[in-house]
Amino acid sequence: MVTVMELYQLLPKTNCKICGESTCMAFSVALLGRKKNISDCTPILEENFKKQKEKLESLLLPSAGAGETGMIVHPEICTGCGNCVVACPVDVANDPRGAAIGCAPTNDKVIFRVIDGKVVASNIKECRRFGKNKVLCYACIDPCPTGAIEFV
Amino acid sequence: MATCPGCALLCDDIEVIVENNMIKETKNACRRGAARIKGCINRLAPSIAQKPSDLESAIRKAAEILRNAKSPMLFGWSNSTCEAQAKGIQLAKKLGAVIDDTSSFCQGLLIEKFLQKKFRTCTLEEVRNNADILVYWGSDAQDSEPRHLSRFSYFPRGESRQRGYEEDRIAIAIDVRESNTAKICKGHFYRIQPKGDREFILALIDALSGKVPAYEPKKILELASILKKAEFGVIFAGIGLTYSIKDDFDILVLLADKIPNFHIMPMVGHYNMRGFNENLFRETGFVNRVKFDGKVVHDNKYSIVEAFQEKSIDALLIVGSDPLSSLPRSLIRHLTSIPVICIDPCVTMTSKIAAVTIPCAASGIESAGTAIRMDGKIIELSKIIGSDYLADEELLTRLMGAL
Amino acid sequence: MGLDVGKFMKNPEYELKITTYRDIFQVEAQERDRFGKDYEKLSACIVMSKNDLAKMGLKSGDRVKVTNNYGSIVVEVKESKRDEPGGVAFMVNSPWSNVLVSDETGGKGIPEFKNITAKISLVKEEITTFESLMESFRKCL
Ligand code: SF4
Ligand code: SF4
Ligand code: SF4
Ligand code: SF4
Repeated sequence: MVTVMELYQLLPKTNCKICGESTCMAFSVALLGRKKNISDCTPILEENFKKQKEKLESLLLPSAGAGETGMIVHPEICTGCGNCVVACPVDVANDPRGAAIGCAPTNDKVIFRVIDGKVVASNIKECRRFGKNKVLCYACIDPCPTGAIEFV
Repeated sequence: MATCPGCALLCDDIEVIVENNMIKETKNACRRGAARIKGCINRLAPSIAQKPSDLESAIRKAAEILRNAKSPMLFGWSNSTCEAQAKGIQLAKKLGAVIDDTSSFCQGLLIEKFLQKKFRTCTLEEVRNNADILVYWGSDAQDSEPRHLSRFSYFPRGESRQRGYEEDRIAIAIDVRESNTAKICKGHFYRIQPKGDREFILALIDALSGKVPAYEPKKILELASILKKAEFGVIFAGIGLTYSIKDDFDILVLLADKIPNFHIMPMVGHYNMRGFNENLFRETGFVNRVKFDGKVVHDNKYSIVEAFQEKSIDALLIVGSDPLSSLPRSLIRHLTSIPVICIDPCVTMTSKIAAVTIPCAASGIESAGTAIRMDGKIIELSKIIGSDYLADEELLTRLMGAL
Repeated sequence: MGLDVGKFMKNPEYELKITTYRDIFQVEAQERDRFGKDYEKLSACIVMSKNDLAKMGLKSGDRVKVTNNYGSIVVEVKESKRDEPGGVAFMVNSPWSNVLVSDETGGKGIPEFKNITAKISLVKEEITTFESLMESFRKCL
């Protein structure tokens, strides 16, 4: 799992503020939380940082698309067991005859589905951690055997 | 909907997207299942003496080897359909051969007890609807039967378990290793030493009988009190447990007697190992290690391991298995000194030293049939894509014809 | 028959209990290509607890020779992600671990896959490849 420190180690570490953050460390936090893009740090786009930039991209790639909700899915360590599919309360509520009882999802309203043996998340805005009545739900994190889902 | 032949859960809710007769995407299958459905990159080709041949000649050569052998063995079977297994048993009868399968050094001992009705057991649907206490014993379902917890045991809501895992179910793991399954059973993981299962069972029996157990009394008493409260408990007995108590299996029966609300269920990896055990049991009263010698003879010496040990076979037909890879190297010297015939969809370590190789369709993907789920339910396998490869059943029929 | 057991090992040897297990990622690799590098990488390793690693002066990524009466292999050390008390190391069930499994079965037909004793020591040699395993089988011919 990517940490702020791992991202930080790859940045130019000059604290030049071009990215709009006050330090490279702050930028790392923003990167991990998907609030900034790598390209916001213009110095790293230069040729001599090419390797580091590529590394950063690969570290951040799996979660691209998770967007503002901050959910990060790591398909490379997901076993496709489907525990999250069946445990997520949103999936249970939206698919009582499918995901809720352990069967394959029967509609597109679920958050988690397993495709090619790995989990894919959609409808993330439905997640109980967001919106007006948000609660700190762990129902997809705790049942995961490998830590393939996290929130930042 | 298709059925996944990735493990003996035989998930029959798989969607497969096929384009130009190629598998493009799988939905709902776990990582293990998706890999099985997508298939291997090294397909086997017909060969004789490690030289390419055509299918007909390979079958003829295989028939010749089996005909000339005095004590051939037919082995494998856990990756074949029930139909192919039945053919295999017929072939063994015709040849007066020894027949054994991978359960011989896996869960065979345990499954035999089920077929002899030594244990109270139940179906996976009953587990989903009723089970409240789940014990994974020597079994890492998360890695071997990955959808076991999500489809049936812990996570789903069932008829009398509407609140699912959060409040209605407790999952317990007993293992030598904090496996992925043990991780999910957080707070209910009991670590034992290798071969420590017997001691653990005896202590648990003591605790259940109101005695103070000799070993880790606090933890064992705590576990016993959880087990006693079960309305519908299930022990999922894995290979770790089977290996550990193989010399004294009856203590598991003894334990089951102490917890009348519990059911025992075998955990099975290979998709149709139980199918072979049931087919042979119906025919002979034994699940494996049988010789057809005018009559049915069952003996440990007809296990593949002891046959290698005693160098007692002089030809070996293997269907859908790779003993060179799965058996101890100290034992397989004999394998390299007898003619081996491999029927398999893929190149295997064993096929690399085989006298004859015969490619077959990947069953449950390129050919249909039936298989038996780990709890005994019969499940239809699907033919997902077409192929030029013949099913193992068809190949065995031709082989029998060529005899 | 071991794969040339070095006679003069300078690194200390430790006795070790090993049990085998299954790993879904290794099974996945096997389904796709049992001769591939992924399968080799996920098979030719030994998982040990932090305690045991400290005691033996080993760390993740080290190569160790694991030897007993039945054979000898070189595999990569991995530190367990879990909080293991130590005393037992883990190897995924594979042709590599099978080199170390005893042929004593007491006539019962089931080898002791899960109860292996071996000696372990740090080495510089390359990890035992699939090819060299296959070669050792051919030598039996
Ligand atoms: S622009 Fe790049 S180098 Fe400058 S402070 Fe931001 S992260 Fe650091
Ligand atoms: S946090 Fe809860 S609601 Fe959100 S995706 Fe995970 S399980 Fe579903
Ligand atoms: S619980 Fe974890 S490993 Fe299982 S499917 Fe969900 S993300 Fe993947
Ligand atoms: S749990 Fe078993 S049967 Fe189900 S999808 Fe996974 S490998 Fe296939």
